[in-house]
Amino acid sequence: MRRYRRRHVARIGLALLSFAAFLALWQGVVWLGDYPPFILPSPGAALKRLGDLLADGSLWFHARVTLREVLAGLGLGALVATLLGYGLGHSPLAERLLTPYIVASQSVPVVSIAPLLVIWFGTGLLSKVLVCALTVFFPILVNTVVGVRSVGRELRDLMQALEASRWQTVWLLEVPAALPVLLGGLKVGATLAVIGAVVGEFVASDRGLGYLLKQGQQLYDTSLVFVGIGALMVLAQSLYGVVALAERIVLRGRQDVMHG
Amino acid sequence: MILTVKRGTRGERGFVLFTLFLLAGLTACTSTANPTPQATHIRLPMGFVANVQFAPWYVAVERGYFAAEGIELEFDYSWETDGVRLVGAGELPFAIASGDQVLLARAQGLPVVTVVGWFRRFPVTVVALEGSGIQDPQDLVGRKVGVPETFGASYIGWRALAAAVGLEEQDVPLEVIGYTQLANLTEGRVDAAVVYANNEPVQLEQMGYDFTSISVADYATLVSNGLVTNEEMLQEHPELVRAFIRAFLRGLADTLDDPDGAFEVGRKYVEGLDENETGQRAVLEATILYWQGEPLGWSGLAAWQETEEVMLEAGLLSRPVEAEKAFTNDYLP
Repeated sequence: MRRYRRRHVARIGLALLSFAAFLALWQGVVWLGDYPPFILPSPGAALKRLGDLLADGSLWFHARVTLREVLAGLGLGALVATLLGYGLGHSPLAERLLTPYIVASQSVPVVSIAPLLVIWFGTGLLSKVLVCALTVFFPILVNTVVGVRSVGRELRDLMQALEASRWQTVWLLEVPAALPVLLGGLKVGATLAVIGAVVGEFVASDRGLGYLLKQGQQLYDTSLVFVGIGALMVLAQSLYGVVALAERIVLRGRQDVMHG
Repeated sequence: MILTVKRGTRGERGFVLFTLFLLAGLTACTSTANPTPQATHIRLPMGFVANVQFAPWYVAVERGYFAAEGIELEFDYSWETDGVRLVGAGELPFAIASGDQVLLARAQGLPVVTVVGWFRRFPVTVVALEGSGIQDPQDLVGRKVGVPETFGASYIGWRALAAAVGLEEQDVPLEVIGYTQLANLTEGRVDAAVVYANNEPVQLEQMGYDFTSISVADYATLVSNGLVTNEEMLQEHPELVRAFIRAFLRGLADTLDDPDGAFEVGRKYVEGLDENETGQRAVLEATILYWQGEPLGWSGLAAWQETEEVMLEAGLLSRPVEAEKAFTNDYLP
């Protein structure tokens, strides 16, 4: 237990040290290059801007807007991708028919569709949620297909021999078997969803971290841009962390079941 | 500051080498030929895609006005803010940018200065479809108005119009709709939209809609697009600045005198001009109205100060920026 705690403290210490080194390097570049703030603000200037935005509550306000879009988009995208992926995983014919279209759709940049979604679905939450959902759709779909296909033939035969119903096969065999791959897709999707939300906010919005970023660019406020980027990174990291944690818990539970 | 001097093509260099070789062989010949002056290559960020609205620039290049000044001009259709940043950082000598961008940039310490007031009237208007009951600014009270963003020329234009007619923020519910104004307007999602006067109204007309247009320029005097350079250029290369301005203003004068000729020149630069000739012709004609004003390229302190005031009120500027330092007419011919 003590050894675990020591390792944990060491890990946090290392993370803090690397962050301090990053700040020192950043400050060094500003000094050596003698850059004006509109090209590269100092860490101090960016941190001050961060402090101001935290103090007046605006960073939290914009982060909440983006988080709402991300969660809704991720949920919708994951739901549709999982359902479709399940179907494709079971039907080679459907896969042959639909895969070319699905793959082709991935070559279309979301940024080119986003303005159309705003026109079709309005400038509110829905269009941003749809941009997010489109962004996360493909990796989750692919992982679902792979996950469903990864269930061994012998296990299916066993379920059949036990006269398991369709739902029992899904819940007791396919979902647990596919879960590691599914959660892998969800981890990728969680980070991509943040990009989706920013793209949506770039097209038309007056709130959200993407809006904050755009405002910083438009007002030549590079410190604000840095704060926006930093906030998006924290958001993406947190989402990734939550899914990774869920993955660990689920997989540990699965191992416990398997090892009796 | 980078002023790249374009080197010859491989073929030209080969030809020069070959010629030098021949000259070296002819020892009897001791020619003292004058060296050909090399053109100064300048990349100009335009702030928008290739468009018929840039006709004066195309005319100035095609008719050799820049070449006559020893300038080889390259159009760079990049973002307006990127161009201003590059000019402010001394990486590029010139960019096309609106006056509000210059004030914002100066507020952040970028030493940029407008040297040509290209647009003499502010090209932003509020449009509403016929039947909406909107005829003048007071009719906008309680109606939903779409703006592309809460910064930029459209928003500043809206704020100036609202201030001029005494509309308070709570009087008119604004909705940020991006650059999808026409779709939102024709679908009835907004009652009116803030648009560029030389673009969307032309498109509405083409689509057969009847509409009302409330021009910001009728209510406020704001600065619009111009040619921007930096303070170092003004101090170190004033002659180049003058030469560049001279060449552009010749192109602008030609375009105002002969829009048909300018449109023809534009065909070479703007894709799709042939396919939508009527519409694009209309855009050029609508835009020309905003360039007219003597002397060409001049801009006045009152417009800069009014723009600064509007931006301060809107919270886009947090402190005054000395508007008189943001522009100069000293380099005009």
